[in-house]
Amino acid sequence: MGTWNSVKWLVWAALYLVPAFLLPWAVSRSWVQQRGGTVRYSPKQLFERGELGLLSLILASGVLWDLLRSEFAPHTIAAGSVLMAMGGVMAATVWVETYCRQHSGTDWHPQRAWRDSRSLAFFVFSMAAVVEILLDRLNRVAQ
Amino acid sequence: MSAAAPALAATQRRIVVVRLADSAQAIGVLSLAYASMLVIFPVWFPSLIVRSWERGQLLPAMMIFAFLLDTSLYLRVAQRLSAKPGMLAAACLGSLPLLVVGGSSVLLQRSVKYALSSDLPNLHAVVGEEILAHTYLGFVAAVFLPFLAIRLLQQFRNTF
Repeated sequence: MGTWNSVKWLVWAALYLVPAFLLPWAVSRSWVQQRGGTVRYSPKQLFERGELGLLSLILASGVLWDLLRSEFAPHTIAAGSVLMAMGGVMAATVWVETYCRQHSGTDWHPQRAWRDSRSLAFFVFSMAAVVEILLDRLNRVAQ
Repeated sequence: MSAAAPALAATQRRIVVVRLADSAQAIGVLSLAYASMLVIFPVWFPSLIVRSWERGQLLPAMMIFAFLLDTSLYLRVAQRLSAKPGMLAAACLGSLPLLVVGGSSVLLQRSVKYALSSDLPNLHAVVGEEILAHTYLGFVAAVFLPFLAIRLLQQFRNTF
């Protein structure tokens, strides 16, 4: 069975949710309160233009940095980096596409942008968690 | 034009338009399952994968799993959109997962060769970690890349 040493990566991965998801939501609440408003913005409303895709790219960059410094074989680093980067770039593309659609007057669907960015952010987040667990295991083995 | 033609056109279903989010969600679930297995069974699960690789069972198992997962994902999207599967997309989904898993296996063999030639301590365990990493990356690539290819081809052709 797993020990605390292996479970700590789940806690670490969950910490990514704080700056990506909870912090903007909390800031929006405090902004509304400061202005005496009663409106409450849900995460769905806050990220309806696909902003989660941008945050995913930032998360992917952090994991890429760790991966490039690891002791995995160059082939493994290359495969992992390409997949991680592709995930991050495709997630960010959702925001770019939504922005272009909105500003060019082409029909844009907030529901679709939210769904796409949320799914791709979930993909990048879960992949980042697995890569970090693998890196942690390798570090312990290679020492 | 006969009167039956518009009715016939109305009954013809459009071809499936795939979005990357469809495969991304499946990869997310797959990744969380893989992470959970690594965390809950840190010894048993990796040794199971390494043993399967040593016996030559890992590659066919990955191919079958990736093929079934991609096909079921595509059919699920088709059912949700009430659209009919396209022939080219079906051919793409039938061949790409197998090619990607095959390519991943070649990469794994080179990584293992590289690891064995390095001067790292505990070589057997390091090779095991390489196998674990490539198994995971192979799964992700086998689900993500076919859908990415179809998505990019859809940019050029409205119906694929």
